[in-house]
Parts: sequence; C-alpha cells; structure tokens
Amino acid sequence: MLREGRTPPDKTAPDVFDSRRSLVEAERCLYCFDAPCTSACPVHIDIPGFIAMIRSGNVRGAAWLVRSANALADTCGRVCPSEVYCQPACARAKQDAPVRIRELHLFATRSERRREFHVETASRTGKNVAVVGGGPAGLGCAFELAKLGHTVDLYNDGPPGGVPLKSIPPFRLPEEDLLHDTGILGRFFTAHDGTLDGLEFSSIAGSHDAVFVALGLGRDRPLGIPGEDLESVFPVLPFLETAKKRPHTLRIGSRVIVVGGGNVSLDAAATARRLGAAEVTLLYRRGERQMLVWSAELGEARRLGVEFRFLAVPLEILGTGRVEGVRCRSMRLSADSDDSGRPVPAEVPGSDFLLPADSVIVAIGQDVRAGWLTGLTRTKKGYIRVDGQFQTSMPGVFAGGDSASGEGTVVRSLADGKEAAHAMHGYIMRRG
Amino acid sequence: MTSEQHRGSETGPVRDLSYGLLGIQLENPFILAAGPSTDDIDMVRRAFSMGWAGAVLKTTSVEGTSVDLAYPMMSAFNHDGKLLFGMGNIDLISAHHVDRVESTVRTLKKEFPGKFVAASIMAGKKEDWQSLVERLENAGADLIECSFSCPQGNIGEDPGKMLAQSVAATELTARWVKEAARRIPVSIKITPHVTDIVDVARAVQKSGADALTASNSVQALMGVDVYTFVPNPPLGGRSTYSGLTGPAIKPLTLRTIAEIARNVSIPILGTGGASSWRDAVEFMSVGARCVQFCTLVMHHGFRVIDDLRSGLSNYMDDMGFSSPLDIVGKALPHIAVHDQLPRRRVRSVIDESRCIGCEVCYVACRDGGHGAIDRRESRIPVVDPERCVGCGLCPHVCPEACIALEGVD
Ligand SMILES: Cc1cc2nc3c(=O)[nH]c(=O)nc-3n(C[C@H](O)[C@H](O)[C@H](O)COP(=O)(O)OP(=O)(O)OC[C@H]3O[C@@H](n4cnc5c(N)ncnc54)[C@H](O)[C@@H]3O)c2cc1C
Ligand SMILES: Cc1cc2nc3c(=O)[nH]c(=O)nc-3n(C[C@H](O)[C@H](O)[C@H](O)COP(=O)(O)O)c2cc1C
Ligand code: SF4
Ligand code: SF4
Ligand code: SF4
Repeated sequence: MLREGRTPPDKTAPDVFDSRRSLVEAERCLYCFDAPCTSACPVHIDIPGFIAMIRSGNVRGAAWLVRSANALADTCGRVCPSEVYCQPACARAKQDAPVRIRELHLFATRSERRREFHVETASRTGKNVAVVGGGPAGLGCAFELAKLGHTVDLYNDGPPGGVPLKSIPPFRLPEEDLLHDTGILGRFFTAHDGTLDGLEFSSIAGSHDAVFVALGLGRDRPLGIPGEDLESVFPVLPFLETAKKRPHTLRIGSRVIVVGGGNVSLDAAATARRLGAAEVTLLYRRGERQMLVWSAELGEARRLGVEFRFLAVPLEILGTGRVEGVRCRSMRLSADSDDSGRPVPAEVPGSDFLLPADSVIVAIGQDVRAGWLTGLTRTKKGYIRVDGQFQTSMPGVFAGGDSASGEGTVVRSLADGKEAAHAMHGYIMRRG
Repeated sequence: MTSEQHRGSETGPVRDLSYGLLGIQLENPFILAAGPSTDDIDMVRRAFSMGWAGAVLKTTSVEGTSVDLAYPMMSAFNHDGKLLFGMGNIDLISAHHVDRVESTVRTLKKEFPGKFVAASIMAGKKEDWQSLVERLENAGADLIECSFSCPQGNIGEDPGKMLAQSVAATELTARWVKEAARRIPVSIKITPHVTDIVDVARAVQKSGADALTASNSVQALMGVDVYTFVPNPPLGGRSTYSGLTGPAIKPLTLRTIAEIARNVSIPILGTGGASSWRDAVEFMSVGARCVQFCTLVMHHGFRVIDDLRSGLSNYMDDMGFSSPLDIVGKALPHIAVHDQLPRRRVRSVIDESRCIGCEVCYVACRDGGHGAIDRRESRIPVVDPERCVGCGLCPHVCPEACIALEGVD
C-alpha cells in the first residue's frame, strides 16, 4: 500500500519505476472505457483498472489485478515487448506517447512481492489433467486449470520456467523475477521432473482426463554448410543456456560471428560481448529494415558495440578443430517477397569475402524438438496442428505455445495456455 | 462477450465491508448520490450489480411541479491539464415526479432487497413535503433525503435562495418531514454556502431529523469566455451560476463535515468532492458514516466501485480495522483552533539524491517565501537553515516530492 511519502528509487535496473515515477506515469492514463490496451494485451489485463489503483494508492489491488490475469507478471514486466501489444494500442499514443504500461505493472507486482498472493479456486472437480512442458504456455494452462478446480500434473525436464528460465539472458530477465512468478505458480500443480519420450507420453495420456502439450521449440535449425561440426560452432540455445548456467566453461575466443537476424541472435550477440568477446559481428542475409526485432534489443546490442553485416550469408566455416574464419557471400534484395512480406534475398555472384573468427553462433530459427511425438498431426513447418480450440488431431490432447504456433512471445504463450485451459475444461466437463 | 464484461467480475479479495447505519445494513460505505446516475432505473440496476451498496434516487417532487430544464447544463473547471477538477451543473431536480419514483423504489427493493435505496425529495408546501414522505415510505424506501440545498433555488416562496440558508426555515421544514416519516429515517441535505454551518446543523438536530447529508454542491460561476464575455455554460448569450462539485470542493466538504461532527451528534452522510477510497476514508475520519459519489461516477462510470472497495479493504487490513465504522471520527481529536496548536521549529530539507534540478522550489521561496533557498552550480538547491522559517511552501511545489520538513531542537 502506498502512503504519503515514498521509497527511494530502485537503481538496480533502468526499467524499474519507483513509486514517484509510477504515480507520474499513472496520471498520464486516460482511464479509457473498453480500453484498447486491454484488448491488445494477450492475457487481457484490466490495464485502466490497475493503473487507477496505482493512482489511488491501492497498489495491492493493482498487483492483484495484474497477477490474476498474468501469472508470469514479473517476468512479463521485464521481457514483454513494449512495441508489440498494449503500448502501441494505447490511446495516449495518439496524443503524445503511450503510457509505460509494462513498467507500471512491474512496479505494482514487485511492490507487493512480500505479500502472499491469494486467488480463489473453484471447488474440486475430481479430474486429473496433465500438462506436458513447463514453459509459459504450460504454466499458464496449469494455473488456469487449477483455478477451475482440476488436479494438475506438470511434466518438464528440470525446474519449470521454459525458455525464460533456460535461455533469456539474465541482463534482460533477472532470475529473481522469474523465480518469484514460478514460486507462486508451484502451489497449483504437482511437478514431475524428467525428459519425456513417446512411451511415457502415452502412459500420461492414458492416466489423465486431458493433456496439454506445450513443449516449445528447442531444436536449433542448422546452417547446413561445411565446417558446422567444428568445435567452436554453437547452436544458439545451448549457447545461451550454458552462458546462463556455466559461463566460465564457454570458450568463444575474441572474435565471434553470430548468424541470424532475430531477437535470439541479438541476445546471443549481446551475451557474447558480455562474456568478453572483443569483436562480435552479426551476419544477416537481409537488410536492417527486414530484421524482425524489438528496438530495445537492437538498441542494447548496438550499445554493447555489436557490429552488423547486413546482406551477407555464410558459405563455409573454415578451420581445423576450432573455427578460424567464415567465408561469406554478399546478398541483394530481390523484387520477390516471401510469406512474411519481406523481400527475398538473392546471392550476388563473385562477391565472396572472408571474415576471421574464433567462434560462430548459429541463430537462424528453431523447430519442435519432440521427434518422439509421432501421433499428432503437424503443420507444414512441423508445428503441432491445432484447431481454434487448441485441440490436436488426438482427442483429449490439446497443444499451444511455440510448439503449436512457432516462435512467439512469453505472454502470447501464456495466453494460449489460459485459453486452452478453458477449452479443456469444457471438453472434460462435457465428457462427465 | 464484451471486454468490459469479462473483466468486470474480478476485483481481487475484498473483505467484509458491511455495517449498520440508522438501522439499515449497508454492504459497504459507497453510495450513489442523487444525480443523473440515479435518475434511471437501469443505471441504478447496473450500479448495484457492479457492487455499489446503495443509491439516493434523484430528487423528485409532487406531480404537477414544473421542472424546466435548460441545456447545456454541464461545465468544467479544468486545472493544469486535469479535466473536471471541478464540475459545474445547472441541472434541476428530476423531471420524473413521485409516481414514477415510487415505482422505481418498489422495483429496486424487490430486485435488490439487500441494497440501500433512498429517495430524495423537494417541495414547497407542508402538505407536499409530507405526502412525498408518506408515498415514498410506503413504496419501501430505506431513507428519505430532503434537498434543502439545490443551488438553483427552491420551489417555494424565496426563489434563488436555498432552504438550508435559513436556519428557521430549515428547522420548520425538517420538522414537517420528520413528522410524516413514521418508520424510516430522514436526512436533511444541506449546503456549505452559509455563514455558520453549525447553526444549520443544530437546527436540523433540533427538528428531530435523523441525519444530515453534508454537503451539496457549492454555488459558483464556472468561468467566462474572455472574447464574448458570456460565462459558462453558455446558453444563447446568457448563463447563470452553477453548482460546483468534484475534487475542487473536497476540502470545503471536509471542513463542513468536521465542523458538524464536532457540534452535533446525529449521523452524517458524506457527499461533495470524494473521488477515491482515500477521500472516502478522509470523509469518514472527520465524521461521515458513509460516502456518496456523483461527479466521479459521471466522469468514469460505475466501474470505479472496484477500486473503492478493494482500496478500502486493503487499507483496513493495513490498519487492522474490522469495520468501516472504526474510521469514523478518527481525525476529529486532531482538529484544534489555531491558538491551541503546538509551536515547534521546523525547517525544510532537500533530498539531493532525488532532486531533478528544476529550481521551482528556489523561485517559490524567493518570491513567495523567505528567500531561504540558494542556487548552486549543480542546480541542486540548498536550504539555508538560518533563513528558512519552515513555512512549508516548498515541499508542495517540488515535482519530485523530495523536500521534507524536519523538526529542529
Ligand atoms: C533466446 C530467446 C529470447 C526470448 N526473449 C523473449 C522476450 O524477451 N520476450 C518474449 O515475450 N519472448 C521471448 N522469447 C520467446 C519466448 O521465450 C517463447 O515464445 C516462450 O517461452 C514459449 O513458451 P512455451 O511454453 O511454448 O515453450 P518453452 O518456453 O520452450 O517451454 C517448453 C518447456 O518444455 C520442456 N520440454 C521440451 N521437451 C521436453 C521433454 N521431452 N520432456 C520434458 N520437458 C520437455 C522444455 O524444457 C521447456 O521447459 C525468447 C525466446 C528465446 C529463445
Ligand atoms: C448534474 C448533477 C445533478 C445533481 N442533482 C441533484 C439532485 O437532484 N438532488 C440532490 O440532492 N443533489 C443533486 N446533485 C448533487 C450530488 O448529489 C452531490 O451531492 C454533489 O454532486 C457533490 O458530490 P460529488 O462531488 O461527488 O459530485 C447533483 C449533482 C450533479 C453534478
Ligand atoms: S489505452 Fe492507454 S490511456 Fe487508455 S486506458 Fe490503456 S493505458 Fe490508459
Ligand atoms: S454526454 Fe451524452 S447526452 Fe450528454 S451531450 Fe454528450 S452525447 Fe449527449
Ligand atoms: S523543486 Fe524539488 S526537484 Fe525541483 S530543484 Fe527543488 S528540490 Fe529539486
């Protein structure tokens, strides 16, 4: 609860507003009716409601509104892309600049960190539901199912948390924020640790009233060029995971090339700089305008001095044992465009050049890792096919998050989990 | 499903806020004041279903009373970019006469037996006041509120003057009303616009009326168009005085309620400028037993009840209060007359780590205080403890709230 007088500013991270800053920002909110920000937020936080509560000094009420809609409240307060959902929709953006919604909700939930979070759960249904995969989608689903009165078993390899726990770099997501969220969620399900295979999956499916599959992606797409098996070529996911858990075991040398033009490659580049690499070059086959990245991440990579080589692809990684360099070729943008509406790059003959390097990080996209998951129909791209109700081709088996729709976001995956939980609830209760 | 519906139901854990007032059980202290929001049964239904504890229906009159509305009736007092810091209206009582309000009361009490439904009345003659009371009591109203304070004047002998501006008329009329009310309590709604509010409150208490509603809008001229010289709101080249409501009048109301509570013992229903749960707590701390809201709802809708309930509930948890009544009167022992105030030396101190260097405090003290703040190269001003008398101006101009007053001795 906010009283007159205020706490000193939190200087630990630039994104954390103190109560004064929050009040000033909260006063910018217009308190819109049927607010566009709420519609644009995948989990539909009552944004004008919680901001009005910050304004009135009811920070506890604000935190409750946020967390009851967004079970990964502190995590999203850190990593939700501010230019994708609520903020660009904000009516205030048409006047001057959007309300800093993400910072306000992080302020609310962090301020109430020491207080227990209570939420009402429906009376027990006597049904058992399995959630396979403990990332944002799985966690969102498990929480919602528990609130609906079901008993939930959650299966994950290692502690729940998914990509945010394993791969999102700690300089963007302090671990305490994620662990605070998962700590609260842990009360709502029984966690089972272990790597599943097809056999175990069948037995889980057989012993539960419904199953939610949210295994994420997890398999790095290879470049498919010579030299990719050299010692210091790293697929990005294991690279980021090791950088989080055992950074001192990574030997990346002083010149690092990151291949790929997405947020994940920016994370890799920024991480490589932080690990001490003197020169980090990001290689991308299209131009800067075609990068699908968030400006905050791009800005951070630039701030860290990451070099960008646009319109270039690697042809061959050179070296014996370890990487010594990468042979590249220049590209140009052709007149054709692909499904994403971006121009297709074409090679420029005779434009090859050599970049010296000690290591290469490959970040050109990910696929679903679960090869053992054979019974479910896949899409052309290999994602699990679901209908509008998150139902897969197997009755009683639902899926969502990245494994059903490809590279997404934390909050979108969480929303999938929540929405799927309601679809599953309908399915289970109809079957009686 | 609209998004309003899917988010409306969840307001977080709210503790039991119910308590008894004048023999009536209230779900919480938050009541809709007589006004546009209570002039239509569907609006009140929506408010009740969203969590409002009760409503005072817009003031009604006997059949045949002419209610000649003039439009537009609303105007705004905006200050420093804050819309509706104060709101003005030249509304009159309801265009619905008592026959319609009787049926509204009946329907609402049937549909919402647990809600507090009060009827507000205004009349001229004794028999009209009394027949309004009897009819609305029979319809099932929980309380009768009498508007002695419509800023557009009264039906009756003294047009342009409010009934509650005359102590004698107040006492006489309140007595008529009280006589007619056989089972239910009566509250007299008064205006702060008098020389001595205590005289009026005492007259109400003497009449035997059960409670006071304090206090109505404040008569005001809302502004003047400096190019046409027509004041607001403009109606074809003319205008009139408005009733000012909303945040701008909150301090006036607080003083009015405090003054009444210090001098009479009958319960006070608070109204006039409350716009948050915190304001409601302040109203109750100076003696109000419940708080009515009008402008806030007209501005932001019935949805504000979510924060009112949740905010009060969380506040009560923090304070260890078990009933809203625990708040009533808590501030009164702290109110004294000026010469009883302790004399201690204080001076202003700037928290340099938070100062943003705007130097607003410097200029305020130089030109409106005691020239006690010095500028520095760093733009972080410093207070000279010798020249600072501790007037307390600078803390209120600092946009970062980084100036505090500290005691010296
Ligand atoms: C480096 C990186 C940075 C990102 N940054 C952001 C960001 O800043 N903001 C944002 O919104 N999004 C970001 N994303 C995207 C976001 O993290 C994902 O969209 C989201 O985590 C997907 O959630 P999910 O639950 O579908 O899958 P995941 O988070 O991948 O979770 C799947 C879980 O299933 C488990 N699992 C998989 N196979 C098995 C098995 N066989 N047995 C048991 N368990 C198994 C995994 O270990 C994992 O815990 C980022 C992604 C990456 C890779
Ligand atoms: C447009 C308007 C109409 C009102 N009509 C009535 C009325 O009919 N009877 C009455 O007693 N008070 C009436 N009021 C006064 C309110 O009940 C309330 O006491 C006043 O607005 C102060 O409270 P607030 O600051 O919460 O608005 C009216 C106020 C407004 C703004
Ligand atoms: S759209 Fe912007 S201004 Fe409107 S309620 Fe949402 S945050 Fe506030
Ligand atoms: S508030 Fe509604 S009724 Fe009043 S002038 Fe505007 S549109 Fe018309
Ligand atoms: S008003 Fe406050 S922020 Fe501005 S200079 Fe003075 S102390 Fe600093």
